[in-house]
Amino acid sequence: MSRTETAWCPGCGNFSILATLEKALDSAGVDRRGLVLVSGIGQAAKLPHYTRANVFNGLHGRALPAATGIKLANHDLHVVVTSGDGDMYGEGGNHFIHAVRRNIGVKAFVHNNQVYGLTKGQASPTSEPGFVTKIQTHGVATQPFNPLALAIVEDASFVARSFAGDPEHLEEMMVAALSHDGGFTLLDILQPCVSFNKVNTFKWYSDRVRPVGAAHDPFDRRAALELALTWGDEIPTGIIYRSERPSFESRLGVLDAGTLVGRCGG
Amino acid sequence: MDVNIRIAGEAGQGVQTTGGLLVDALASVGVYVFSTQSYMSRVRGGLNSYDVRIADRELHSGAVRADVLVALTPEALEAFRPQVAGDGVILFDGEAGGDGVLALGFSSTAREISGSELLANTVAAGAVFALLGYDLDALCSMLEDRFHKKGEDLVRQNIDCARRGAELAAGAGVSLPAPALAGAPATVASGTEATGLAAATSGVGLVASYPMTPSTGVFTFLAGVADEYGILVEQAEDEIAAINMVCGATYAGVPAMTTTSGGGFALMAEGLSLAGMLELPAVIMLSQRPGPATGLPTRTGQEDLKFAVSAGHGEFPRAVFAPGSPEQCFELTRLAFETAHRWQTPVILMLDQFLADLQKNVPPMETDRRPIDRRVVTGSGADYARYAPADDGVSPRAVPGGDAIVVVDSDEHTEDGHITEDLDARVRLTDKRLRKADGLRSEVLPPEPYGEPGAGHVLVCWGSTRGPCREAVDILAASGESVSMLHFPQTWPIDAGAVRSGLSSAEKVTSVEGNARGQFASLLREAGALGQMECGLVTRYDGLPFTGEYIAGRIRG
Repeated sequence: MSRTETAWCPGCGNFSILATLEKALDSAGVDRRGLVLVSGIGQAAKLPHYTRANVFNGLHGRALPAATGIKLANHDLHVVVTSGDGDMYGEGGNHFIHAVRRNIGVKAFVHNNQVYGLTKGQASPTSEPGFVTKIQTHGVATQPFNPLALAIVEDASFVARSFAGDPEHLEEMMVAALSHDGGFTLLDILQPCVSFNKVNTFKWYSDRVRPVGAAHDPFDRRAALELALTWGDEIPTGIIYRSERPSFESRLGVLDAGTLVGRCGG
Repeated sequence: MDVNIRIAGEAGQGVQTTGGLLVDALASVGVYVFSTQSYMSRVRGGLNSYDVRIADRELHSGAVRADVLVALTPEALEAFRPQVAGDGVILFDGEAGGDGVLALGFSSTAREISGSELLANTVAAGAVFALLGYDLDALCSMLEDRFHKKGEDLVRQNIDCARRGAELAAGAGVSLPAPALAGAPATVASGTEATGLAAATSGVGLVASYPMTPSTGVFTFLAGVADEYGILVEQAEDEIAAINMVCGATYAGVPAMTTTSGGGFALMAEGLSLAGMLELPAVIMLSQRPGPATGLPTRTGQEDLKFAVSAGHGEFPRAVFAPGSPEQCFELTRLAFETAHRWQTPVILMLDQFLADLQKNVPPMETDRRPIDRRVVTGSGADYARYAPADDGVSPRAVPGGDAIVVVDSDEHTEDGHITEDLDARVRLTDKRLRKADGLRSEVLPPEPYGEPGAGHVLVCWGSTRGPCREAVDILAASGESVSMLHFPQTWPIDAGAVRSGLSSAEKVTSVEGNARGQFASLLREAGALGQMECGLVTRYDGLPFTGEYIAGRIRG
């Protein structure tokens, strides 16, 4: 398979995310040799193979601890996790909680299509209540996971949301996230799944996404939480929350003298 | 001649403090020491014991009987009294202990001198020293070393307590024949300390672990020396995170390890397989305790061998080392890092509670940082392929951040690291990975023989059973029995030819193992290393360590 031939369905939101990421990396001036794209397993997790970067495509759900190990080993690297909602919020949920708590300087771009694609259409942690699948035959009976609210409550460094169907907004958010010099950065990207999610379609998202206005102060935690809890007829997008909390790696005295890899000798 | 001192009491009462103090002080006098610990899974109460065995020759094992019992509670007195030798001495921390018991009132003496019972341990240590007739100054200078940072007053109180303890014992008019001074090395190390120090001096950069007895000691040791050696020590949210952090760090070029025990290792199985697939030099220290599930959290066992050699789905090469002493912990921890980097594959280092906690005299260990060769290549340029073909299966390893773009994938991949479903590539890359197993086998450590060459009966053992097995061979040889042993410091891969030649003169083989079913014997048989030979078993799975006496008794039947 050539690097340009993907494993994605025609019309998949991943194409737009990949094309936008290419542009955003260039706009943000990210040197590809100093960039590591980390992913777990799922359709979104294949993205790193389709661009030019160092790649760590690890286990399902375990992108964040691997990314944490990479960032701690060499904090000069730009470490970006690009993976799906099942990978990051389901299988990797515990690591998500603790990566935000640490405030490790890793950027997480989560392709959130509210469904499992690669395993063919089961509910994800972000599926809507009542969403019917071949497993959840009577509809999803659980409440969706709210990644933004959790990240804000845990005082993540940077929390944003965008939509794969609005490449201009997405690029703006990706550039802002890539340029953010601080701790844990979450960019939750709403993404239609043309094969398995017939509820949260391109039109469904398009009708609802509302970029937050200039009046929103992302450093206002209560206002940010209010926005994060808004989901329904309106879904706020944009930079929802920012914090001055120092990154995990900046608090570790052992890294003051430089990167671990630069000092390991041998 | 040897004397076994058993200190027993509740958790939190200072059993460990007293034991540790005696180990260091007795070693500084110049006798050989060997200590073992037996404790319950609790923070306070219960019944814990600490054995300090001393001799005029090097010791390799604990003992069953006690020559001196220091009982800190009535419960400890009752529980351990039956194991006291006929000519043994019982010191009891109380005012009245009954027949044959010297009630010396350590706590009341400590209160008299210092206003608190905290120093009762020091009174007890002084009494033991006097009982053995060793120079009390050695104990006093050890107390000075330990407490000088906490102030003159505390040093003086401790020394007063030790001297009063000695007077109490002398006043009771008992003494015990003690081993002669033998010029033993004054340095004492546990398996835990030797393993941790070797990891630090080998240049480990990142340690990510989740606490789990009995592995926590190495994790704690490394945290304690982290500033000195420039190590980043991170307590992961779980063992899955720990092994994946290690995979991430090794991918980025930093030697990394995780420390765990059986249950945590079980959680790491997928990550172990990841390290095999990505060809990462991950080092896992697996300190065993009895299972299944939570088992006996603070006791010892060798039950995870077959799991360690086969854990992780799919097929990939690995090495498993099993040191048999603190000295071997030091050597083999370094070798674990070297082997992982030489062959770009995970390496497991197996300890257990017995080995982790035991202390013995060792020659001074090198404390300077001498980083292992990571074998990282630079300047590979734009067309670098992480999994380029290689005769021995080991491709040049670049790390991200340099000239090369380094791509690794848990999916089957092509030579450039990218995901593939090309089934020819699948076979090619599998063969490449598995070729490393041939290399690992060619470098496997030979089994170490001990005892009379050509003996008809050969005891086979691995890991921590080395020391007790040596003493068993000595005990049996002393009564004219023709027994020798083969200890395996590396349990995987198995070089069947080397094992067969080590056993060529044997008429009878017995595997001595801390599990119920003879896991190592089973591995040897599977590898064809036993040929047609029958292999008997001496097993122990009650959570307690082997001793030389125990093994000799079982061999005699």
